[in-house]
Amino acid sequence: MLTTPRLIAIALCAALNFSIGSIVYLIKLPVYLDSIGTILCALLLAGDRKAAFVCSFLSAFLSLIVSALLINPFIPWFVGTDIALALVSAFVTTHGAAIFRARPLQPGSFIVRVLLYGVVTGVTAAVVSAPVVAYLFGGVTGSGSALVVAVFLHAGQQLLSASLSSGLAIEPIDKSLQVLLAALLYRATPGEFLAMLAPGADQAKRNPSYGG
Amino acid sequence: MTPSGAIAFAAIVIGGAMWSADIRALAMLLALCIAFGVIETGWTVRRAFAWPAAIVAPLALFMAIVWIGIVARSPAEIAAGLPGSRTAALGYVTIVCMRLFLIALLLRLVTLRFSHLTPLQFIRALWAPLLLKKLLVLTLSWIDTILHAVDRSRTALVTAGVVAPRLALKNVANGWILVQTVWLSVITIAIGRARDKWPAENTLARLDEVLSVPPLSLRWRDGAWMAAAIVTLAAAFAAAALRAAIA
Repeated sequence: MLTTPRLIAIALCAALNFSIGSIVYLIKLPVYLDSIGTILCALLLAGDRKAAFVCSFLSAFLSLIVSALLINPFIPWFVGTDIALALVSAFVTTHGAAIFRARPLQPGSFIVRVLLYGVVTGVTAAVVSAPVVAYLFGGVTGSGSALVVAVFLHAGQQLLSASLSSGLAIEPIDKSLQVLLAALLYRATPGEFLAMLAPGADQAKRNPSYGG
Repeated sequence: MTPSGAIAFAAIVIGGAMWSADIRALAMLLALCIAFGVIETGWTVRRAFAWPAAIVAPLALFMAIVWIGIVARSPAEIAAGLPGSRTAALGYVTIVCMRLFLIALLLRLVTLRFSHLTPLQFIRALWAPLLLKKLLVLTLSWIDTILHAVDRSRTALVTAGVVAPRLALKNVANGWILVQTVWLSVITIAIGRARDKWPAENTLARLDEVLSVPPLSLRWRDGAWMAAAIVTLAAAFAAAALRAAIA
């Protein structure tokens, strides 16, 4: 399952998560954009969903370790969110892989799929992250979502439900943006690289007669 | 001290900090962390406080605005349906911020303790599966490659007049071209490395050889810090239980 090209793809997507995530974190944008590599990793391995899940989770986990040591020490608490994102990306978002790469681009289907997968990913991330946001950060993560939490709390909601409501308001937008960027990068990836990641590519390379 | 020992010590302290919701227990853990910093890093410990303070300060500000300014009561009071007070909200914000500061400080201290090691030496010394170590090294290598690709692509696009070196409206419109250029540049390097360069240089096998050496075994100092963390936690929880019993 973990062939050399796939190891390279995992590390590459982890580095992508870290690079984009840290830029966004440092300039304090009201979005996260730290899972583009995770979603992209699943899309690159869309032909083998189990491998897509394992590889996209590994890429998320690696970027989490590096980010914790260098940029954001609180990110390891979101490991559960990463598992959920890898699951959704591997078993839901990959269904749109053919449409994301279709040439010429079918704008209608492309946009509908991006929004659909973005909302599903966002709702999942919000539900899984809410307990961490409530307990570790007191519902306030230092972005614009803090004001949304304040409104819900002021209205008498409990901390967990206020964090969940705030997550549900913010996450689908953030994740739709991430699915869009991942889909566009997947579309721009050369077929040669995808062929290297395909199941059996390593055996075919070692034995030219493999697979006819 | 070994990197694995430091990580185990940090895990115990952070686990304890997450579990305790008492300001005195957190203060005891903070004192332990400072002692760890002073003994393990010497005067370098002074440099350790700026990073966690810079990370926690904006969060503390937001939390103070939300909890003390707007909500004006603590989560426990909301749950109990009580009118609540700003003092209780202040106590809650202090505990959350102290816990966050403790976590950030501890990670910073561990990083400083091993700042004399290269990332490869640090990863090599860890108790971790070979696959994870290899992936960590590859990830660090790709981060550098991506940052170089960003520099090169940006310079090329600025020269071509596609993006501007300063804040400009055309950067919003053409930002995607920069992202795509970076990605294509990185993917081309990845294909070249995987297909030609690494097999020719036997890079991955050599990396396996470097990383598969037995990790450093734990030293007495590792054990001493872990024991100190457990004793501090036990003392903190015992004190909290005693106070609750008296009350």
